[in-house]
Amino acid sequence: VSASEAQVAEPTRTSPARPPAGYPFAFPRYRNYVLFGATSFFMLIGVVVLLFGIAALGRGPEAWEGYLASLGSPLGLLLTVVVLVNTLYFAVRFGWVGRKIAGARLMGFPVAPPVPLEVHGLLLPGGFAFVWLLVVLVLGGVMP
Amino acid sequence: LNAIHKLEPVFWLLFGGGGFVAAFFLPGFLIGVGLLAPLGLMESGLGYDRVLSLATSPVGRVFLISMLSLILWHCAHHMRHVIMDLGGASTAALAAYLSYGSALVGTLVTFGLVLSL
Repeated sequence: VSASEAQVAEPTRTSPARPPAGYPFAFPRYRNYVLFGATSFFMLIGVVVLLFGIAALGRGPEAWEGYLASLGSPLGLLLTVVVLVNTLYFAVRFGWVGRKIAGARLMGFPVAPPVPLEVHGLLLPGGFAFVWLLVVLVLGGVMP
Repeated sequence: LNAIHKLEPVFWLLFGGGGFVAAFFLPGFLIGVGLLAPLGLMESGLGYDRVLSLATSPVGRVFLISMLSLILWHCAHHMRHVIMDLGGASTAALAAYLSYGSALVGTLVTFGLVLSL
């Protein structure tokens, strides 16, 4: 048996994966990473709340009014604010991280961003905020 | 878990797409439906007849199903990794089946609710 055949027969031993020291809350980088992941739990709640709205819409005008009234209760408003804060944190960080995504390529070579990375990082969150405004205007009946 | 690992590119695509959809649209819906409407600031826009007509138009149905389903898959993939990060490798199978199973059920519920309007 040659040395290379022996290597194939016996897989490389690796130590089990383990979290880095101080994970998950000892350092801001770790903490932000975990908080960013945790936002998905709150966004899931937001989707479920909207699904309840669609279900109420299917049951008729009274159910729809009841749905809006339940959202207007103190508990409903608190839930919406908590979900919204988490969703906003997610969106801003998602956009900010997005500035590091490789941009266009020209003849196989990456093209430098046309503006500094800090400005580049504000473009996506700015675009998100513009669409939030459009959605509110459409839902509010200001736009068709 | 092998099947899950083979489908990883699909889950990643749904995760990325859902992230963009969530970042673009979810805050607007939360502000409009969850905050402004209960405060009485959206009466002309979120009346029953108008909302029903928006939600049952072909574009409205496709939009609602796409938006809500993609966000569900995004959340599932993100939560799977949070569970694995905090719970360790022993939670990998449970996290995967729980997260993606919930997203699948949620997607079917979304289709059912929107198409039954």
